[in-house]
Amino acid sequence: MREKDRAMKDEYLWDGSGEPDPEVQKLENLLGRYRHDQPAQAPALSQLFDQLAAERPAQHRWSFSLSRLAFQLAAVAAVLLIGVATYLVIRARHASNSGPAWEIARIAGAPRVGWHSLSGNSETGQLKVGQTLVTDGSSRASITLDETGRVEIDPASRLRVVASGPNRKRLSLERGTIHATIWAPPGEFVVDTPSAVAVDLGCAYTLHVDDSGAGLLRTAMGWVGFKLNSRESFIPAGAVCATRPKTGPGTPYFEDAPEAFRDALAKFDFAAVTEEERSALVSLLMKYARREDALTLWHLLSRVSEADRATVYHRLNVLAPRPAEVTREGILRLDQKMLDSWWNSLGYGDVYLWHIYERTWSGDQPRSK
Amino acid sequence: MERRAVIAQPMTETCADDADDALVSAARAGDRSAFGLLYDRYARMVHGILLCRVPPREVDDLVQEVFMLALRKLDSLRDLSRFGAWLSTITRNRANDYYRNSSRVEQPMEPEEEEQAQSRSNDHVAEQEAAMTLAVLRTLAETYREPLMLRLVEGMTGPEIAARMGLTHGSVRVNLHRGMRMLREKLAEKAGPKTEDNTKTAKTSGQNA
Repeated sequence: MREKDRAMKDEYLWDGSGEPDPEVQKLENLLGRYRHDQPAQAPALSQLFDQLAAERPAQHRWSFSLSRLAFQLAAVAAVLLIGVATYLVIRARHASNSGPAWEIARIAGAPRVGWHSLSGNSETGQLKVGQTLVTDGSSRASITLDETGRVEIDPASRLRVVASGPNRKRLSLERGTIHATIWAPPGEFVVDTPSAVAVDLGCAYTLHVDDSGAGLLRTAMGWVGFKLNSRESFIPAGAVCATRPKTGPGTPYFEDAPEAFRDALAKFDFAAVTEEERSALVSLLMKYARREDALTLWHLLSRVSEADRATVYHRLNVLAPRPAEVTREGILRLDQKMLDSWWNSLGYGDVYLWHIYERTWSGDQPRSK
Repeated sequence: MERRAVIAQPMTETCADDADDALVSAARAGDRSAFGLLYDRYARMVHGILLCRVPPREVDDLVQEVFMLALRKLDSLRDLSRFGAWLSTITRNRANDYYRNSSRVEQPMEPEEEEQAQSRSNDHVAEQEAAMTLAVLRTLAETYREPLMLRLVEGMTGPEIAARMGLTHGSVRVNLHRGMRMLREKLAEKAGPKTEDNTKTAKTSGQNA
């Protein structure tokens, strides 16, 4: 009986006869949206014939170029050289700095530093390099450094001071949530998380890290850089960016983006998908992108496959036309100056500030779980 | 049951081939309506083969290009009854060229109105599921991918697929069956880790709130 059922269902797969196979039917309904729906039209066919008459044999151009390969190898060598040199310079400069301490103010509960708890109403303390401020489920605190800014620490958080030297203030948020309002010059205040480094570029923002090391950064004012190794995200006011251990920061997006856009982006950034699936997600992202989502599309330029890059370029060019000095070819080969120029034209912040940070801090990377 | 079907169908195939012969001859002689009928008959096959290889957004344009190419080369077709197989090869080659030809000019999409995007997003879950399912289907080996794409996406029956592509009923039937089994397995694999991803996404969304 079961074999007969199966045979009937096979008949349905074969020619649509027999008992319908619900799974095949479901796939037919789901995938039917891609079905060819352009019946031949006389004008279109006439056009085909006319075009054919007008066409001359096109000469096939084979554009395989060895010089391109040589260029790429040279670029890789140059990057490696710069990387090694930078590492050596930074390592030499990397001295322990004691620097000024952050002033702690208790807001609620009993936040503690080491064994010492701050529990009195007016009790304050200091947070020095190497020390960790811990809040339990009912504690909150703030830390302030005169020339840098103020950071509020939510309950259930662990925040450590990594460095406090001149022009280099570095904290490490191991778990929990902080709200940072920074008045130090852009690029001087940095927060490590287990999966990315948040770099202040003149702003106020909230940073959350969960127990797995995954994080979420939401910018309230100005903009923030989020980085792990070569993966960088710029998050302007109103935008958010998630980060995951080993992967690093995802692609930033505005919180009011369509749900379909956000869903597809979350999968593009963090789901285990094949190249084909990533390409399908890129198509959806292009479809749902609004003008404001130029922010996201600009980041996607360097994150999609070469095959999809031209599509992203065109969509971005429609939503936020490229500046005159930017060319399609330059963007397709990910020319950094052109990418920078296009970013600056979006009006979220001058990428020059980011490069200051990179020159000052590169080499100092967070550990990734 | 299966044997009966195989015996019953060669007549249909023969009729179809005869008709193709006549249409191809007429089209060669410049008969536009004959070529229009060939287009009607084979457009789904071309569309499905392309969909196996290039991004969906590019397929419609490429269908036109394939028929242009076929029309241009029609004189080189020696065995008129093999039009379908010949057109399949042209289609596959065009799809391969799509990736070789990096200078291809994409048509920019028109800016979408926000309201339109919002209304479309109501169906986005199904759309995303369709896109991901299509992507999984495209990971199957070519032998299984093509007939399955023609069956599930283009709505062609097994006998139609065999007739259009110049294949035997037996091979199409086997490939549809095996392909479907592989697709089921791959989709089931996908469904496993999906739950975990959803949990993570939900967690992050919770943080957003």
